[in-house]
Amino acid sequence: MIKFSRFLLIFALIIASCSSEDDGTDGGDTGGNETASFDRGAMLANWADNIIVPSFDNFQSSTQSLQGLSEAFVASPSLATLEALRSQYKEAYLDFQTVSMFQSGKAEELNFRSFLNTYPVNTTGVDAKLASGDFNLALPSSYAEQGFPALDYLLYGLGSDEETLQQFSENEIYSDYLTAVTARINMLTSEVTASWNGDYRDTFVNNTSSSSTGSVDRFTNDYVMYFEKILRSGKIGYPAGAFTGTPSPGNAEALYATGLSKSLYLQAVNSFEAFYVGDHFNGGGTGLSFYQYLQYMETMKDGASLSDLIGEQLSAVKSQSSALDQDLQNQVEIDNTTMLAAFDELQKAVILLKVDMMQALSISVDYVDSDGD
Amino acid sequence: MKKLLFSAILGGLTLASCSSDDSPSIDGGEMEIPATYTFERNNVSTVDFNGQTTRLEMTAEILANFNDFDNASEELLSNMLSNENSPFQNSALNNSDKSVKSKIAASTLFFSTNTVESSELKNDFESFISEQMTTVKSNRNELAEAGKAGQIAQGSTVRYVNEKGLELNQAFAKGLIGGLVADQILNNYLSAAVLDEGNNRSNNDAGITEEGKNYTTMEHKWDEAYGYLYGDASIPAEDPNSVLNESSDRLLFSYLGQVDADEDFAGIAESTFEAFKTGRAAIVAGDYELRDEQVAIIRTNLSKVIGVRAVHYMKEGDEALASGNYGSAFHALSEGYGFIYSLRFTNNNFGDPYLEPKRIEAIREDLLRNNGFWDVTPLTLFGIISEITAKFDFSKEQA
Repeated sequence: MIKFSRFLLIFALIIASCSSEDDGTDGGDTGGNETASFDRGAMLANWADNIIVPSFDNFQSSTQSLQGLSEAFVASPSLATLEALRSQYKEAYLDFQTVSMFQSGKAEELNFRSFLNTYPVNTTGVDAKLASGDFNLALPSSYAEQGFPALDYLLYGLGSDEETLQQFSENEIYSDYLTAVTARINMLTSEVTASWNGDYRDTFVNNTSSSSTGSVDRFTNDYVMYFEKILRSGKIGYPAGAFTGTPSPGNAEALYATGLSKSLYLQAVNSFEAFYVGDHFNGGGTGLSFYQYLQYMETMKDGASLSDLIGEQLSAVKSQSSALDQDLQNQVEIDNTTMLAAFDELQKAVILLKVDMMQALSISVDYVDSDGD
Repeated sequence: MKKLLFSAILGGLTLASCSSDDSPSIDGGEMEIPATYTFERNNVSTVDFNGQTTRLEMTAEILANFNDFDNASEELLSNMLSNENSPFQNSALNNSDKSVKSKIAASTLFFSTNTVESSELKNDFESFISEQMTTVKSNRNELAEAGKAGQIAQGSTVRYVNEKGLELNQAFAKGLIGGLVADQILNNYLSAAVLDEGNNRSNNDAGITEEGKNYTTMEHKWDEAYGYLYGDASIPAEDPNSVLNESSDRLLFSYLGQVDADEDFAGIAESTFEAFKTGRAAIVAGDYELRDEQVAIIRTNLSKVIGVRAVHYMKEGDEALASGNYGSAFHALSEGYGFIYSLRFTNNNFGDPYLEPKRIEAIREDLLRNNGFWDVTPLTLFGIISEITAKFDFSKEQA
């Protein structure tokens, strides 16, 4: 009996502490009913039809050109075909930043992002494959030997233009490897794009449940996780040594194509922000997204609207970026403090998104830091 | 902050409840339960569990090498398991006369007259090593398929599985949580046969310490139990929960923390630590009834951690299989397989594991039948989850 009542007491305390906490942060202006009555289906349809599918369609044509230009290059290596390929590599890498945050469905199943953009490239591994002539890009252990970072190395990291052309002219394995890398980027992209243009679109849009397996909950987790781990940590935090105290410029994106990494970063931030406010990918309008959802919920933080706070913080991230060098590796080497300042702005946005926004939308965070095993 | 406050409240509650509940059995108010795990005789600490720390360090080094196909070998890992031929980087470990293998499935309560099974269980760990360094190693540059060992992606992580989808390093590590850690704590050092062996009680009552030591034998046995849970070098010995979910421990303490972080089980870490502290104070005070009450709490809590994680990973694996995510599914099922293995070493306070050993073996067989995780059905997983939760006091939803 004593034991039982102690249990009840603990229970009561838990409940009491939870409810008081809630009252404190959201001013008591949210409720389950409102969550349910926001048109989640319309938001999912806007995401799929006006943003995700057009973004993939665009990226798909970009990777198609990439494969074509790499085939043209290896068929007749010249400065002209090399430059055409390099230019399309940059174009496609920028376009990749518009879809990298979309990890649902086929992309998750194929480990799309890991295969296309695990960096820094493992040059020792690539060199070993080029030397032995034996490689299998389907293996997850070869994540860091393919995708855009491997292209970066093959197109910009082999020496002068002449030396690069010489390698491709004289060693067939270089051509084979390059072609395999671009073909695989294009193949994986085709698969993901096709699934969005096929049944997966309806599966995604119709799953309006507000449970942890509903599309909104899962997508939001992926979206916020992308911002925290891939954008904040990957593009800025690791090179700046934000977690270790030791800057490691070699962890920057696009190491070899000097001057590209900031553009990739900005494209990622812009795409993330456009998604947040619901901008159609091809222009010409805006639909429901997180900004409208938070407006609808009337969520406040410290006396201000949370939807606006997040928008303002993303603007702050962009305006801080004007202080960054075009090449983020260079930025770390010449003045890492500015790089750390970028991290700090991104981190402020992480808190608003991961803590405040997800709480306001009653979505629990389903990703945790790996326990290392 | 909320969490801190909450544990403070719970901590307070636990303390309060202990003093009110347990006061009848405290002799004339002589007993003092310290705030931290600090016990002294003549101003010198009586707590020592360096042997446990050594075995935990050995385990950590084995685990760190388990997937290192380029540098490790079956011979090296097997030598590490038995501590033969100076296999460890850390030379202090090589010089120790202790080994991990000698303490696997080696508790007095479960295995002293059951060496047949003990030897089979010890050999399971040798088999995990051997299979890893032969079958899996030779296929490490192949994609795994049903019936074929190799690598499989779990998001950005590469996992290595045998032909049934089982990650042997997970089977090994999570199996040791029961086979080494829980078995030694629950069924060896906290068993009456060990605590009360020989003249332990009279020596303890008379304050007769071991030769050249500052502790009585019973005190030391209790501390050895404590050391298997809290003995990782990254854990402050007196106040282990100060690094709950932040230590380098990868065995039972780590999962005690993870279960505690689930609000359904919040407070389990605090209550376990309180029981260790109270039981140790009871030994100092010669109150064996109170000591045994704490043994029951510790057995219940630590067995529950293993049960909860077994169910947790079966659930997670089931969900991932449903969405076609084999890499994540196999990783979860591999961890779960190890925790199911560890159920053999739980203790229900009636002298038995929570599930009958032959049922645990049957469940393991069900999981690995035919192509194993590649074709395990939701129905099989549902059955396993139901069978485990039926024996514990938590539900599938809570785990």
